[in-house]
Amino acid sequence: MLKFFQILSYGIINGGLYGLVALGLSLVFGVMNYLNVAHGGLIMLASYVTFLIFSSLHIDPFLSILLVTPAFFVIGWVLFKVLYQSLMKFTEGEKIKNSLLISFGLLLIFANLAILLWTADERAVAPWYTGKVFDVFGVRLPYTGLGGLALAITVIIALHLFLTRTYFGKAIRAVSLDHEAATLMGINVNKVCLVAFSIGFALAGIPGVLTSLHAFNPAISFDLTNKALVVLILAGVGSIKGVLIGGLFLGAVEAAGVYLVGTPYREVFGLILFVLILMFRPQGLAGKKA
Amino acid sequence: MKHILLATSIVICLALVPLVITKEYILNLIILVSLYTVLSQSWNILGGYTGQVSLGHSTFFGMGALVFRYLWIGGLSPYLALGAGSISSLLLASAIGFPAFKLKGHYFAIGTLALAMIALITVQNVFPGVSFIPPQYLKGYSLFPIYYMALILGTVTIVLVYGLSRSKLGLALVSIREDEDAAEAIGINIFKYKVISMSLSTLIAGLGGGLFSFYVASYYYYVPFDLGWSFDPVLISFIGGAGTVAGPILGSLVFVILKELFAISLGQINVLIFGIVFIFTVLFFPKGIIGIPKLLQKKKLSVVSMKEI
Repeated sequence: MLKFFQILSYGIINGGLYGLVALGLSLVFGVMNYLNVAHGGLIMLASYVTFLIFSSLHIDPFLSILLVTPAFFVIGWVLFKVLYQSLMKFTEGEKIKNSLLISFGLLLIFANLAILLWTADERAVAPWYTGKVFDVFGVRLPYTGLGGLALAITVIIALHLFLTRTYFGKAIRAVSLDHEAATLMGINVNKVCLVAFSIGFALAGIPGVLTSLHAFNPAISFDLTNKALVVLILAGVGSIKGVLIGGLFLGAVEAAGVYLVGTPYREVFGLILFVLILMFRPQGLAGKKA
Repeated sequence: MKHILLATSIVICLALVPLVITKEYILNLIILVSLYTVLSQSWNILGGYTGQVSLGHSTFFGMGALVFRYLWIGGLSPYLALGAGSISSLLLASAIGFPAFKLKGHYFAIGTLALAMIALITVQNVFPGVSFIPPQYLKGYSLFPIYYMALILGTVTIVLVYGLSRSKLGLALVSIREDEDAAEAIGINIFKYKVISMSLSTLIAGLGGGLFSFYVASYYYYVPFDLGWSFDPVLISFIGGAGTVAGPILGSLVFVILKELFAISLGQINVLIFGIVFIFTVLFFPKGIIGIPKLLQKKKLSVVSMKEI
């Protein structure tokens, strides 16, 4: 029974990370129908940046978020101007297909760039609290995991509040509903898309910090993109609150798989769930829009 | 007619190459180009002609390799093993691939990617070791039979795609690519043609996997299931020109040459360059290298007509 709770707690901690991983992807897809599969590659790059900051400047990884996110905001800004702006004129289906192809190329570029710059070896950031755990009735809860879960919940709620309570957040939501109507209401759709896209990139910096605390290498890009897509489908497109629930659900499903079958197949359960949902409920478990 | 004559003479020349050139390096290059041509043409049928972008072709490539290796080492003749591998790829597709047609557009792409990942993880866990060729096979290992198998497979695949592109079936597939709803409205059974397209595609992918397994002496079992085998044909076909016969051939040639140029000096950089070229192709040359001359022609024409006005 202890083993069950141990695995479940790890599943929930992972689930928070998955929610965070999917957040930027979900925002960008919801607002402008760009399926940015390069998101996992960005998170991987953010892990390396965190690693470099930690090893050269000795800044705590959780604090380095303040450096990493603005940097990724700028990267998103530049990439939107260079690559993605020209897709704005396409129809919805064309947008998804072309952005999928372009970001797929970016994903390969990021992964191979990381191998060239930093080799394919595994690395990890190890601050003083690595390996320290709370002991709750025999269930071991690592400090890093709890910190990550708290961070995930905070960031997701903050983004939700930003989108529902602020003027600019409301503009983003208006654009995601209908570009033309938003234009007619006097919203600068191009600018809103540019900023939302950049925020999506900046949001890749935060999970990057969390993944840097465990062993990582350039190949995690593909796994992370994959996790983000699974959560996106679980949550339903464009739902920010759904992302947290979807992430936690995926973590729990994986935990159940580990408990019943074994660790090597952990990823498979999420993927099978993903394919089944794609087939039978493509609008997501929580989503209403077809 | 001119194209057919040209193609036939190229194939005859290639068939004579091993008699003239004994440098193994050249033969290896031609084998690699053929291997990538087979794989990317396989993708081209489904992705280029039918418009169903698959990111899961490594599953069928790997299945072909797995079954081929098992039967070949078991004592079956290579060509029979090749056929069996190809058919088992089709069987796998009918179990997991056809249901994927419930997914439309980008859902198909990410759904097939998920299938490829499931296959990769499963093979890594079920067959963790290295697949060796038994010593008695290794003694007789020679590039010549592999070379001719590669050449035959390459030729058969290209002829098949050429025939497809000029047939009614090919037209039906293209109409699904252009507009699924319109195709259905004029009486095309979409599901049936998608299944035909995927069957052809997976049969050829299985052949490619068999060729890989015949060519590479020992490898980890999971290597032919590596996601690279899913991604490379997408890049190759798009850069060469998806939905054309010559595009994937040209793309494979460029891909292998780039790979060879940089393999010695910089390793992974060929994928980096290819990724950048791929993005530019998608953005500016949607018809690939093959479409560039036409694109330039059109631009010239439009300049002329502007002057006339």
